[in-house]
Order: sequence, then C-alpha cells, then structure tokens
Amino acid sequence: MTWPADVPWTQVSGAAVGAHWLAFELGPSASPLAHNARDRERCFRPGDEAAVRAALERVGRIATEVDVERLEAIHFAIKDGPDVRAALLTASEGGVLSDVELFEIARLLDAVSAVTDLATAAAFADLVPVVDSHLRAALEPGRVAPSAFYVADAFDPTLEPARAQVSAARAAYDSARSRSIERVASIPGLEAARDGEFVVMRDRLDGALPSELHVLRETPAYLLCDVSLDDAALTALAARDAAAERVAALEEAVRMRLSRAVAASAAGLRRACDMLGDLDLLVWRARFARRNHCAVPEIVDGTAVAFEDARYLPLEDELSQRGLPYSPISLELDGIGVVTGPNMGGKSAALRTLGFLAACVALGVPVPAKSARLPLFDEIVWFGIGAAAADDRLLSSFGAEVVGLQAFLERRSERSLVLADELARTTSPREGRALLVALLEALRDRGAVALAATHLADVTPSGVAHFATGGLTRLPPRQAVPLDLDWALRRIADAMDFRLRRVSEDTAPPADAIALADALGLDPRLIERAKEVL
Amino acid sequence: MLERAKATGARSIAVVGTSKNAGKTVVTAALADALSRSGEPFGICSIGRDGEALDAILGTPKPRYFLRPGTLVATAAALLPKSPAIEIVAVAGTTSALGRIAVARVRVPALIEIVGPPGAAGLQRIVLRMQADGRFVLIDGALDRIAPVGYGVPKAIVVAVGAAGGATPDHALDDVEALVRKLRLPARDSNGDAVRIDGALTAGAAADLARARERRQIVVSNPTQIAFGGRTFLRIASVLDLRCERQLRVVACSVAPLAAERAFEPRSFARNVAARTGLPVYDVYAATITEPSAA
Repeated sequence: MTWPADVPWTQVSGAAVGAHWLAFELGPSASPLAHNARDRERCFRPGDEAAVRAALERVGRIATEVDVERLEAIHFAIKDGPDVRAALLTASEGGVLSDVELFEIARLLDAVSAVTDLATAAAFADLVPVVDSHLRAALEPGRVAPSAFYVADAFDPTLEPARAQVSAARAAYDSARSRSIERVASIPGLEAARDGEFVVMRDRLDGALPSELHVLRETPAYLLCDVSLDDAALTALAARDAAAERVAALEEAVRMRLSRAVAASAAGLRRACDMLGDLDLLVWRARFARRNHCAVPEIVDGTAVAFEDARYLPLEDELSQRGLPYSPISLELDGIGVVTGPNMGGKSAALRTLGFLAACVALGVPVPAKSARLPLFDEIVWFGIGAAAADDRLLSSFGAEVVGLQAFLERRSERSLVLADELARTTSPREGRALLVALLEALRDRGAVALAATHLADVTPSGVAHFATGGLTRLPPRQAVPLDLDWALRRIADAMDFRLRRVSEDTAPPADAIALADALGLDPRLIERAKEVL
Repeated sequence: MLERAKATGARSIAVVGTSKNAGKTVVTAALADALSRSGEPFGICSIGRDGEALDAILGTPKPRYFLRPGTLVATAAALLPKSPAIEIVAVAGTTSALGRIAVARVRVPALIEIVGPPGAAGLQRIVLRMQADGRFVLIDGALDRIAPVGYGVPKAIVVAVGAAGGATPDHALDDVEALVRKLRLPARDSNGDAVRIDGALTAGAAADLARARERRQIVVSNPTQIAFGGRTFLRIASVLDLRCERQLRVVACSVAPLAAERAFEPRSFARNVAARTGLPVYDVYAATITEPSAA
C-alpha cells in the first residue's frame, strides 16, 4: 500500500519501517468519500511544520475528546455516503440525473445529517459540512422509505392520475390481446406457448401459417410465432403507449426539476463530499491514536530526535497476537547514532521504531509513545537487512546494498532519515566497518539523521553517538527439543534488557550469541565446541 | 419447483445450465411468475448478464423479465428503466460488466434486463441484501459460471438442459447427468482416508489421480470446485471417489427441447433426463412435470 502518492519512502523502506502497516490501519477502505480524500492527501515534508503541528493537534484533540464508539459511528455514517461528484458535474452542465444518481444525492444528505448529529464535540468545529435545506426538502417526496428514492406521485399532482391511466390502458390492451390469442388458440394444430406465443413445428406445418400469426423467430426445427393484433388490440396498444409516454414525460420533468435543485446546491455538495472524506480520514486517525495511546509529538526544526517509551506497533501487534510481551524504548539523538547489542536485543526494533514514528508524523498521526520530538523528513530510507528488492537478484546482498546506497547519495535529500540495519554485514568485517564509518561520516556532514545497528566494534567516528541495548541480564533457560518457539521467545524476552543507553564510543558490543543459541535449543555439542573455540 | 426448493430449507433458487440457451432464463421467469401469483415477496438477480432482449453472443431473441410491483431486482444501474420509474433502494458495493449494480423495487410492472456480478462475493452481498427482509431470491445463472452458486447462503439449485447444448439427445443427456452428479457429490466420509484438494480440481489433476489408482476419497470444498464436466466428469467419477465438504441442494431439472439449431422430441427427452438424473423434470414451455419414477 503506497498511500498517499508522495510518501517519502520507497516500497522497500516503507515496508521496513511499518509505513505500509500504518497506511492500512489508517485506511477506512470501504468509504468512497475517503478514497477521494486519500487521493488528495499529501505527506508532510520539511517546510510543513506549522501545518503538521495543526494537523497533529487536531487529531490529538479529537482522540482525547471523543470515544472510540462515537468515532466509529461517524465513520460508518460517512462510509455509506456515495461520491456524487460525477452526478454534480452532470447536473451543473444542465443534464438530467438518473434515479440512481438522485438516490445517491439523497444518501449523501443522509450522511451529512448523521454526521451533524454525531460530530457534536468542540473538536469537530468547522469540520462538519452544511448543506442547503432546500435540496433536502425538494428530494423529500421521493424518500418513500428511509433509504430509498422513487419518482413518487407526491412530486407532481398529475403523476398519479397519469399512472392510473397507464394501468387502465394496459389492462384494456391485455384484454384485447387475450381475445386475439383465444381466437388463434382455437385453430387446430397450433401449440400455445407462454405469453401468447405459438410454436409451430415445421414438420407439422401443412401449408401457410394462419393469417392471425406472424413469425418472431425461424429455426430449422420450428417457427416461434406471435399473434397479429386486430384493430381493437392495435387501438388499445396505441392508447397504452401514449399513456406510458405521458408518464415518462412527467417523470422526466420531475428529474429535471430535481436536477436543477441539485445544480443550485452543487458547490455545497461538492464541498460536503470533500469534507466528509477528510473527516473520515481524520476520524480514523483519531481512532488509531486513541486505540494505540498515541501522543502528539513536538515538531522541531533540525536534527534532534527524542522519544520516550515508544512502540513499534506492527511488532507489538504481532507479539500481542502470540501472547508475547513488548518493551517500549526511549532514545535521545541529535544527528547520527550507532546501536550495538546482542542478537534479538532490539537493535532493529529501535531503528524501526524511529522510522515508524517519522512515518506517523509524515502522515499527520500522533505517535505511539509517551512523548516524542521529531523533525519532518523529505526521505526515510532503510538499508541493510530487509532492504533487498526483487530486482536485485543479479546482485549479491552486498552489491545490492552498495547500489541502493549510491542511489540515495545521488538524490542529495536535504533532510533525510537513514536507518541502516547491519549494513555491509555480508562482506569482510574489516572492510564492512570501514564502509560503515565512511557512510556515517558522510551522513553527519550532510546534516542527516541516521541510526545504524551493527555488531561491528569501533564504528563511532567523532560526532556520532553510541547507544547499546541492555542485552541479557541473565542466561535464559535452555530450550528443549522440539523447539517451542513462543516459549523460548518469552524466556529470552524475560532475560533481555531492551532499553537503549548512551555508552562511550569504545564500548564493545556484548557477546550473547552463544547463550541465545543455547536458549533456542541448538545442539549442546555445538554449543560446547563454540565455547571452546571462543 | 418452488415447493421442492423450500422443502430443503433454502431461501433462494439458483438456475444453472449445461450450456448456453439451456432455458435458464425461461425457468427463472416462470419461478418469478409463480412467486408473483402467490403474493410472496421475492428478489431476482443474476450471475453475469441475462434477461437482455437479444442473446449477447448469438444475437437470438431471449426471454426478458417482466416483473411485478414489490419485486426487488439487482442489475446494472445503467440498465434500470427510466420509465416506468423504479424505486432505488441500494447501490451495491459491487460491479458488473456494465458498471455498478443497484438494487431496486419494482413499482409498476416492467420489462427489465438483469446483469449481475461475475463473482461469488458480489453475488453473496446482493443475495444477503435482498434477503434482509426475509424474501425469497431467484438467481439466474450464466454459462460456465456455476462457482458462485456453491458459496455463501445455501441455495436450491435447478439444472437446465436444452437442445441447444447437445448435437444429439445423448450428448445433452450426458451433459446433464454429469452436471447433476457433480453438483450432488456425496459428503466426505469422515471415517475414510481422504485427499483434500485446495482450490479447483482440474481435469488434468483428476486424471493423474485416476492413473495412480487413487482409492482414497478425493475431497473438494464444494462441488463447483470441480473444474470439468460432461463425459470427462462421468469417466473420472467412475474411477475416483469424489466427495465434497459442503453439499449442494439440487432439486430439479428443466428441459428446453426446442432450440434454434435443432429440436428433441419433448416427452422422451424429459423422461430420459429424469431417468439419468433421478430428479423431477420440468418443461416450463409445455407446462409438464416428469417424475423420475415415471421415467
């Protein structure tokens, strides 16, 4: 999912930082008005600080003031509101709307009424559309049922008698035709079929067809015939058709009158479509913020990033579904940082959390944290684990990283967030470290914000902060075979300190890999030998 | 036919055919007439396109639906008659080949062309929408589109067979026997071994199982997932133990012995269809019913 169209991340980077998950969570997919609003949405970029602050404040205020049930009720009221912009164009250009289009205009008015009743909180001020009551009154005679529209008799006093005339004329014609059919049916050798039709088998046809019949369809086997109408029936048919034409003209006149009323209110209706769509997206953001205990972040200008007890929601969601605990993390960074720590210690999650929070802000959504301070970015880019694109098959993992890195450098984004997860892990550690240091220096000089997770030691050039996850606080119990993954993950999580701490630049990464392998049930002989080798 | 359908507990009937011009629309229209006469509220919809004046492929005249007041109809919004006006009750969130589908209530008797959604999910939404007030629903099937019938709310099924579909009566009889046997697959025996087929069972995959002399039950989720019919089905069904997890309710056959290309002798054709399928056979045009016992 790549909504909105101008997201500051690629498909791969968006997936890595949970932006696609976020877009899905924010997308009330079944609402045509919201679809339209989504097409108009743009991400917040550097320079939009005032706008994003206002947007975040508004979402935050609604999330605080309105409960989830009310938010969902507003969404469901809008969900049934059709996107009538095409009909409005037709009406504005003097066209006559169809019954379905008039029905949809009426349904849009229903949605406006429902939202007006539901969105009463102060936070919704100036968000609820107002539609000219004249149009509602004009359509009212057609609301023969709460959610229906019909060109009813009440629109025009001449409709009812005209329709009655059609019924009478139809009955007269049916009666005249029935008499013709009865006369023909008495002719020997004819086989009456449905609706006054007669089937004449060719092999039984002796001479010409009776003059009272004419052929509807000829086949090699039979003739399908209809009764030729006599003068009385033809007169009745003409009367029926004339009556029907008069009703058709009256019905069309009603549609014309209503279409003019719609045209007169077109600007307001168009605005209502836009406002309801915007409101739906806003409501869904507020619902998201409320359900996920999000906070309105402080938007800053510069390279300072901080968050307290932030959660990477896609991971928290996945863990929660498996009954596993999640540990929020905190970070305070200005510019470039490196994260070291054991496997499964939360390094990648720290990167993803930062990227996720930045994506939330780009979409104008409060962030899942106790508090946060972030700038806007014009690019959020992910390198390393999880960044291999499908078209990189001809390149090795390392080659793909280099190509992606060079493409990023050439874009020269003015304010980028770079997240590098074990970049250059697949080449020699010595050269990998050298490349990582060179990259961090380049990013520092460009004024980027970056966080790099690595197992490599001594990768913090000057001006680069070093963070470490806590690692194992005790040895987790060994996993029996066969592996019960959830059991093992729970024990490891219990023993792991996921918190990020600022450490000195020369702090060596912890060595917990063998303990973790043991906890995950690796063959004890291998574990013992590994310890000997170490 | 309606009574037989209702006896199964179904609140809808789907009419499917062995071929194009098998008489599906004639049967559906007759069922609509019967429901109208009884005063029972009902809705009518289609899988794909039906009810048009001319057959969209062959250009030959086709029966249209003459619907009476109170009937709910689901069709492409663009095909709803302008006059007499019709009451619009919903615009379904599903589309047909001719655009969005609207659900409308007939206020004045009218001839209406019916176009339905091509897929199972869309059909299901429309059927449920029309059944919201408890009404009975008629579904006009379309050539080669029986899959939607096997999903969603249980439906009684009528199988239509006509002279249009077979060069000889024997061909038509093989086709209808195969389709009925397929749709009436027995349920899986939970005590026996089984091979569960996810998705469609193709003729090639079935032939491989037959060549391997597979003796276990071959289980599909519902009979419409068997993607072959006719004589191929009869041959394969004679060597494989085909079963399903969700049985369908086939209640009757209908015959259309007159076609543009050829005609079968109506009475013997109906008798033979009844004998081959074990189902009552209706000739709607001739207003006859042939019970299997009589055959």
